[in-house]
Amino acid sequence: MEKLINFKIDGISVEAKKGETILNVARKNGIYIPTMCYISKTTPCASCRMCVVEAKGVEGFVLSCNTPPTEGIEITTNTKELEHERTNIMKLYDVNHPLECGVCDKSGECDLQNKTLEFGVSTQNFSARDQARKIENWGLINYDPSLCILCEKCVHVCNEVIGDDAIEVKFGGYSSTIIPKNSETLDCTFCGECIAVCPVGALVSSDFKYSANAWELERVPATCVHCSAGCSLEYETRHVGINGDASIYRVKNNFEFASLCGAGRFGFDFENRDTSDETAFHKAVEAVQGAKVIRFSSMITNEETHILQLLKEKLGIKLFNEDARKYQEFMKAYSSISGKKHHSGSLDAIKLSDAAIVIGTRVATDNPALRYALTTASKHNGAKIVYAHPIEDALMQNTVTQFMKYEVGTEEGVLALLANALLKDADLGEDERAFFDALDLGYLEAESNIGHEEISEMIKSFSRTKNHVLIIGNDLIAHERALNIAKLAALIEKHSDFSLIIVPNEVNTLGVSLIADLDEDEDCIDVVGYNAKGNFLISSLKFANLSVGALNQQEGTFVNIDNRVLPTNVAVKFDGYTLSDLASACGVESKNTVDYTANLNPKSGFKNINFDSLSNFLSPLGKDTRGYLLDEVACEMNGKLETVSDLPEFNGTVIYNSNPVLQFNGYTNITKQLEKDNTLRGSAQFATAARISDGDRVEIRFGTQMIIREFKLDNTLKGTIALNPMFDNVADASRYKFEKSKIMRVSHE
Amino acid sequence: MNHEQFNNRNVSETYYLVDIEDYPTDGWGKFKRVVKRTFRGELFVGLWVVLREMIKFDIHTVQYPQEKMPIGPRYRAVHEMKRLWESGTERCIGCGLCEKICISDCIRMDTRVDENSRKEVTEYSINLGRCIFCGYCAEVCPELAITHGGRYENASEQREHFVMFEDMLTPIDALKAGKQLEFEGFGAITPHEDERVKKTPLSY
Repeated sequence: MEKLINFKIDGISVEAKKGETILNVARKNGIYIPTMCYISKTTPCASCRMCVVEAKGVEGFVLSCNTPPTEGIEITTNTKELEHERTNIMKLYDVNHPLECGVCDKSGECDLQNKTLEFGVSTQNFSARDQARKIENWGLINYDPSLCILCEKCVHVCNEVIGDDAIEVKFGGYSSTIIPKNSETLDCTFCGECIAVCPVGALVSSDFKYSANAWELERVPATCVHCSAGCSLEYETRHVGINGDASIYRVKNNFEFASLCGAGRFGFDFENRDTSDETAFHKAVEAVQGAKVIRFSSMITNEETHILQLLKEKLGIKLFNEDARKYQEFMKAYSSISGKKHHSGSLDAIKLSDAAIVIGTRVATDNPALRYALTTASKHNGAKIVYAHPIEDALMQNTVTQFMKYEVGTEEGVLALLANALLKDADLGEDERAFFDALDLGYLEAESNIGHEEISEMIKSFSRTKNHVLIIGNDLIAHERALNIAKLAALIEKHSDFSLIIVPNEVNTLGVSLIADLDEDEDCIDVVGYNAKGNFLISSLKFANLSVGALNQQEGTFVNIDNRVLPTNVAVKFDGYTLSDLASACGVESKNTVDYTANLNPKSGFKNINFDSLSNFLSPLGKDTRGYLLDEVACEMNGKLETVSDLPEFNGTVIYNSNPVLQFNGYTNITKQLEKDNTLRGSAQFATAARISDGDRVEIRFGTQMIIREFKLDNTLKGTIALNPMFDNVADASRYKFEKSKIMRVSHE
Repeated sequence: MNHEQFNNRNVSETYYLVDIEDYPTDGWGKFKRVVKRTFRGELFVGLWVVLREMIKFDIHTVQYPQEKMPIGPRYRAVHEMKRLWESGTERCIGCGLCEKICISDCIRMDTRVDENSRKEVTEYSINLGRCIFCGYCAEVCPELAITHGGRYENASEQREHFVMFEDMLTPIDALKAGKQLEFEGFGAITPHEDERVKKTPLSY
């Protein structure tokens, strides 16, 4: 039991845990201390000095945001002197602040506005000669230095939570500003978190600027649909023009505790504006009734997956979803060793960890929330982060403490080596010990290119750490030896103090894998595609035979990486039919899609809770009350490890199907704001090896596919593997992402 | 509070009750009343008054619609959009407060950022079919841009004729001629406001 510090704030006895500051404790106990620069998810900026308090026996004022209490101290938060001090600070903030509240984007939700009114600053007592300050346009982000109050929230968030470290304060007294770090213009991943945390209108979204006001927008709490993190966000909607219908104007989030990447923040306009009529609907009913297979993507709610499962049972058709099926198989193998259905880790566990191993995923682009969690762990706990992947990631360079480069295809060997090292002293069963004894370490090290020193360096760096996380990405899930890899991962989780996270590919890969009974994909005719390839397309994207609503036009739930069932709501109306209507017409009795929320597969841990009972917000102290966590389900432990035999080799030209920053899928591809860079990106070394140069049009052949792309030289990349984007739907995201390929230059036509 | 003083309507000693004859109830009574009224000659009294006034040629009738009565400066009829006296540009900054405060939800606007990175109002409309002329929009406007005018005649082929932004906006020639009238109703600047403004102490 940790020792608590007892002290008093305004005469009220309170308790503080170790590491908590006076401000934390005051907020927890509902005692108000005004702040301008404090943000819960970073270390205190301590730039505003509004949070001053008095401590008995201490000369002068104390900053409550970064001072931990001592036993028995008496704190006063509200005296005449403090009030005077704070009012003076507010008066200084207001010096020459442009009186453009009438047009400012922040007006109505502005901290400076609120506090100015709170402290009753109605005249300007101080003065300074104003300076010419240029408004900067940094692409998606717009910066107006004359509105900036230099609270430094943006800098702290960018550095400590996001990890881009792209902006800094240019100190210069009254002429201080925020500037891009080591660069002329802003060069970052454009998560837009700086916009979210800005208390005034200094940092704003270029697209949103001057298009609407805070008080006109209707807020729809929802869940982001672009990756499996399922971040909470609010779509803000308003009518377009004079007579137009509601449309999404921007996305906001609870920036005090949660973060959002740029795809969530700027990639919101993927709604389907098409409508579907009765003839198309009848054709769709016929198609489904005559189909042998429904192929669907993981961009789907749990409820609709449930409806597809009911259709399968009713009509005796097959369900194809390779992405979720591979995840399902992986988890089944995992359960056979671990004895439980769900992985143990969560994003919060990563934030609290001080040691993490990431393997088989390019986190910064696959799952930005995971990257932010790792950055938080690194900056706040000094976490040791081992990043094992064949390609180094420049975006992770500030966070990662050890990069472990392994050969493409040798994931099984790498995990076996890691398990061998981590479980050296573990209490293993006989079979399991025998497995490790039988490992040919020399062969594995040679093939995977992970040296003995690298492993021992990792073990050494982990020696004093307490909270461990193992993060397993899609390269392991889609690997041909996935089942054995899953068992190895389960073994590490079971016999060590590592918590395990198996990163699902798409927003609801995990949910689909828990609900649907999936069949192995094969080429056949009579396939109805639901947001996936098929002869008859039911889709929320273009070229659909029957248009349906996109995920921001639907209500339902997702299961995210934390095994949390998250509700999402309708932001934009869709004029047409839903899958539920289709199922009703095919004889599956159903009313509304969300009526199924309470009936989701209880064998996978879903609870019998109605959709309308699910909350979707964070508490004022940051506690996640969104949806519910899946119940743990016990599974039979009958799995056996197979010996690791030959590791596959990938020689020649290899490409890695990986999206650029902020691009995830066909939906991010149709948004207005996000950059759509669909070039093949490779290092100079790759260019030399493939005999191509910057700007060439190249023909890429892998598997049975042939695509033509432009080649772009990327100086941040190293090695001989090029990155091939897949958000424009050319590559199958469920396949193992490394592909042997042939690349040829084609002439410009 | 005692309300008696307000309920007492005997405000003057000269008040008296009008002596009204009871209505006749039987047929004979009604017949007698008709005969009495018909042959009393009251009709000619009225005709004489009209004739007398006609001969005098002192007529006070306003010849509407050729002639109109002046309207009070605070009258709240169809809205006007004002221009800045100095530059002639529209005063509206597109803050959207009128849209928000409108209790009959009849104002809608659309804004964007223009080439000079200023806020520009691209569309502005008031649905006069819904407007109740409460004056909140004029009251809330921080720029005195939207005000009420004196155009009270809402007769046209279409209601939409009144919601043209260009019609509401002060014509530029009227502004140049100094004919733009400031609204004196609620929300307008009080007289002598200039004298009450405090200056920022500039110590540099």
